[in-house]
Amino acid sequence: MKFSLVIYGAPHASQSAASALRFARALLQQGHEIHRVFFYCDGVHNGSALSAPPQDETDLVAGWQSLQEQHRLDLVVCIAAAQRRGVLSESEALRLEKPAGNLAEGFELSGLGQLADAAARSDRLITFGA
Amino acid sequence: MTLHIVSKSPYSSSALTDCIGSFAEGDALLLIEDGVYALSGPASEKITISPVYCLEADTDARGLSIPENIQAIDDARWVSLCTEHNPIVSWFK
Repeated sequence: MKFSLVIYGAPHASQSAASALRFARALLQQGHEIHRVFFYCDGVHNGSALSAPPQDETDLVAGWQSLQEQHRLDLVVCIAAAQRRGVLSESEALRLEKPAGNLAEGFELSGLGQLADAAARSDRLITFGA
Repeated sequence: MTLHIVSKSPYSSSALTDCIGSFAEGDALLLIEDGVYALSGPASEKITISPVYCLEADTDARGLSIPENIQAIDDARWVSLCTEHNPIVSWFK
């Protein structure tokens, strides 16, 4: 079955993103397909390459990246939510005249259309609210 | 048949009450994260619907015991519940 996930929570601020990552792993383990993971509102912080949690805590950004690498996941960060919260790709940083980009490898910035597309193309859409 | 997922404590949010208000025949409720606090205290008496599931990892993390009428599940069963129901509605406000 084809699933898409929507994540509203920043790492460390709520359990939302951690639950979503666990659920994503369980999905893939059972042979289901993840069409897209859409990071919305504060969830965009999951795509920041600059987060540096202590070694004895879960690194959710790295968790998403390794899942992305293994399963070629489509990890989409909402561009409008990301700009407001300071999560920028190199090209967006240039365009907006900011000193640096910080979008983590494996993530891409895109618009809400990708969420609508995910809802239309997936058998199930699951929201992880913060 | 809808799978309702409640992730907020009934002692800090109206998510559980709102969910129960729209719960229909054939639906199921899954308590996750702080939503599992519905299993303890006066809120547990409000759960008159069935079936109700809870994520065992989240009840364990909070030291809660699971009443007889509630089914504790793991992540794999969570996935299969999602395949058995459509849509999946999350309550978190």
